[in-house]
Amino acid sequence: MLLALGVLTAMAVLSPVLARRGCGRELGYLLAASFLGVAAVIAAQVPRILDGGTVETSVEWLPSLGVTFALRLDGLSSLFALMVLGVGALILAYCPRYLGPQDPHGAVYGLLTLFAAAMLGLVLAADVVLLFVFWEATTFCSFLLLGLAGGKATRPARRALLITAAGGLALLVAVVLLTAVTGSTVISDIVADREVILESPLALPIGALVAFAAFTKSAQVPLHFWLPGAMVAMTPVSAFLHAATMVKAGVYLLMRVSPIFAGLPAWSALLVSVGLTSALWGAFMALRQHDLKAILAHSTVSQLGLLVAAIGVGTSIALAAAMLHTIAHALFKATLFMLIGIIDKEAGSRDIRKLSGLWRVMPVTATMTALAGLSMAGIVPMLGFVSKEYLFQGFFQTDFAPAAGVVAGAIAVAASALTAAYGLRIFYGAFGGTRQPGLYEPSPAFLAPAAVAALTGLLLGPGIDLLNPLVARAGADVVPGQPLAAFEFWHGLSPEIVMSGIAISTGLLLFLRRHHVDRLLDRIAVPDAGAAFDRGHARLISFGYRIGQPDRADGTVNHLVRPLLGALGLALVGFLAVRDLPEVRPSDTAADWVVAGLVALGVAATLATRNTLAALASLGFVGLLMAALFVSAGAPDVALTLVLVEVLTAVVVVWVLRRLPTRLPAVERRRLWGAGMLAIACGLAAASATYALTGRRSASVASEYFLDNAEAATGGTNVVNTILVDFRAMDTLGEAVVLAVVAIGLLALLGPAGGGVAEPRASTQDRDSAAAEVFLQASARLVVPGAALVAAYLLYVGHDAPGGGFIAALVAGAAAAVHQLAHGQLPRWLGPEQLVGCGILVCVGTATLALAMGEAVLAPFKLPGLEVLGVGSALIFDIGVMLMVLGMLVAALDRFGADTRRSDPLKVHP
Amino acid sequence: MTAAIVVGVLVAGGVWFLAQPGLLRVIFGFVLLGHGVNVLILASGGLDRRGAPFVGEGVEDVAAAADPLPQAFVLTAVVIAFGVTVYLLGLLRAESTAGDDSDDDSQDDVEAGP
Repeated sequence: MLLALGVLTAMAVLSPVLARRGCGRELGYLLAASFLGVAAVIAAQVPRILDGGTVETSVEWLPSLGVTFALRLDGLSSLFALMVLGVGALILAYCPRYLGPQDPHGAVYGLLTLFAAAMLGLVLAADVVLLFVFWEATTFCSFLLLGLAGGKATRPARRALLITAAGGLALLVAVVLLTAVTGSTVISDIVADREVILESPLALPIGALVAFAAFTKSAQVPLHFWLPGAMVAMTPVSAFLHAATMVKAGVYLLMRVSPIFAGLPAWSALLVSVGLTSALWGAFMALRQHDLKAILAHSTVSQLGLLVAAIGVGTSIALAAAMLHTIAHALFKATLFMLIGIIDKEAGSRDIRKLSGLWRVMPVTATMTALAGLSMAGIVPMLGFVSKEYLFQGFFQTDFAPAAGVVAGAIAVAASALTAAYGLRIFYGAFGGTRQPGLYEPSPAFLAPAAVAALTGLLLGPGIDLLNPLVARAGADVVPGQPLAAFEFWHGLSPEIVMSGIAISTGLLLFLRRHHVDRLLDRIAVPDAGAAFDRGHARLISFGYRIGQPDRADGTVNHLVRPLLGALGLALVGFLAVRDLPEVRPSDTAADWVVAGLVALGVAATLATRNTLAALASLGFVGLLMAALFVSAGAPDVALTLVLVEVLTAVVVVWVLRRLPTRLPAVERRRLWGAGMLAIACGLAAASATYALTGRRSASVASEYFLDNAEAATGGTNVVNTILVDFRAMDTLGEAVVLAVVAIGLLALLGPAGGGVAEPRASTQDRDSAAAEVFLQASARLVVPGAALVAAYLLYVGHDAPGGGFIAALVAGAAAAVHQLAHGQLPRWLGPEQLVGCGILVCVGTATLALAMGEAVLAPFKLPGLEVLGVGSALIFDIGVMLMVLGMLVAALDRFGADTRRSDPLKVHP
Repeated sequence: MTAAIVVGVLVAGGVWFLAQPGLLRVIFGFVLLGHGVNVLILASGGLDRRGAPFVGEGVEDVAAAADPLPQAFVLTAVVIAFGVTVYLLGLLRAESTAGDDSDDDSQDDVEAGP
């Protein structure tokens, strides 16, 4: 069976290639042959199945979830599998004559074959998860095949996808619930756990979800409207997916779970009422249509409704009749679709108001259509006759309510009467009336597949004994413990025959009085479920648009203020919730008060001015105060870092500000008030949170652990640095990578490198600036190597004293900035891409090396030979960090500086 | 207490800038907000112990050492905040260049060229 699936999938993948390499549309015959081959493989197993056995195979798939890629061939599976493959072979043999030379053969054949593989997988799946996967795959194939019809298919394809995908989601939930309740994903185990499922409170939701999934796939009212819409697809697709097989997936699912739910009044009531409503509604709608394909589509809804209702009845007769009718329907509906495709190709229309008299020019086509139509209407001696008789018999057994059997039987008769009427309508509409000139019988090759299907339907009626064993075996799978009497072609004068007689004669009457009927039908306004769905869909989209509307603003204010308001809300919650705080431990010194006062002054100065440079100077002042605060709080590394950052920020800002206005733009007064209120509220919230939540406990456990263990564990005495490069090295790696990303972002944002274009500063006209430049260059010659040495030293001692990769990178960056100021460009060998790349490689290399030595990722290790110098892996890692940070700095300096020169055309092109 | 005041003042100043249009103001606000949050993180370790967190020979009183973990956080935070500031400046730069090239001042909150 794996082989069978594999062959089909391989053919699907190969189809586009084969179609392009010469096969073209004739590829269909090859594919049809391969379908038959696969069908033969499965048919060879049928004797074993009939003896009561099953064929199973499984491959481990998701062992952690207990899900296996398990396939199982039993009676029901083989029935559906043979139907899928048989009809598939006919359709693919029909394609070569149907498709035009310009059609996308590869896509059509590939998708049709892929669909067949998915459908085969669906009916063979022995695992609910696998079944779900194949279920979704068929939805997907259907969507893509609809899409081949081009622009006019957009809306129908969307409807079909949304409806069937909603059903798929329902199925997924049902699968999860079933697995949760029974503890197994194997279908046969789940079905065997009937009592467990029915006793759990989830029984009702599971049943409803499964039924909903089946209703979407099998186009039951009121979700049926996607199916008529799907008729925009080319005829082979309509015939294969949207009549014979895919829409039967829902029927298959209901049959599969029938052993669990059959006999429950709620299940029975739901399926029978929805099914019979669909049967009646579909038939009624079919009678209103003029397009042959639309008639057939509504007819499919109607026939599927009968099947669903029969499954809802749940007796062995009803279910077996449903299986038989599934086959009969696949045969006659595929035939009709193929023939209508022929008529469409030959006569150029599918409208019964335009077609007429084809009987005389296409006698063979007409005969075949008549055969299929007879089967559809359930007339002797077709297979459809036998299946319909037994369906009637099944409906009489409906027992979820008193007299339900009679009502169900009556509705089924009414639906059959309408079926007979629209069957006649199809036949008379196309073939009756005056002869159309210039038309001919199509080639035998075009007709053959339809003829095979039509004749099979004819022969299997009297030859029902051929099907009996397999249907009986499938019935035993679905209704265990109720052996089934064999179907008989003719079982005497029975109530069913009378019902058939009533249905057919009523249908005939409706046809004979068709002008009155048509006028009557046209007067009835029919609700359009599809349009209602589209309106709901459009409303949902516009609702989503409104939700997202505020975020579509260009300005920063909208994006920044709302999170701040959220934070204020959180602060309010904290304010109300936090109680019983421990005492504050006094820590303020006189110096702290001075710093706090100066910070307030600096911030006020920053806020007060609209002069950009003044604001920047005040900001720098605040930054230095921060550094002082960190020093006094015992954080020399942080203070050192901050001072360097302030210096480099100044350098970068100066590059950028050269092209910016010197004054900040004015802001309207109303906005200032809002900003002020928000600022005060946030400030108060932050201050009270800081006061309430800090400074009230002794040293933390983490703090004591690091202070006690840093030296022993890492060999370093600068605890902050050991945290960065040893204890929390993975965090540091992540942070350094953030800076690497900033570097890449800058490179992307500000365009290709300009640093390589040497533009000697000496060309500057101004004599003073030339003198200043000489001075700068002279001092740079001293400063730059000195700073580089300092950086190397800070890097080396970082583990034990203030310093480390971040700080060293900032010093080196400052050196690069001085070089750039003096020479107008960075040293050529200092490329940001290379620095960042090397940095990442060094860091990740250190991490991997530790892994290779059997340690955890980034675990510290000693370097052989360098132990004397006290150099360990931590230093190497820190070098990587330094390279990345330096890369970011160089990227900024290079792009900001280079951009200035480049965008000043007077200097570049004097 | 002083830490709370410093955090409050810095956050208020930062939010004042963030709540006004214009990328340069956002950068100022971001810098101030970053300072405020850094002080908050540092204060979370407690400011009553203020020895630099070094261990080993020559260090007499490990018990007086400040909490090293917030310091490590703040150190990376300072560098990351710097990176973000530089990136924001890059955006500002790209924006002003684009504005000059196309004379397009339609965006209401762009720091438009002179």
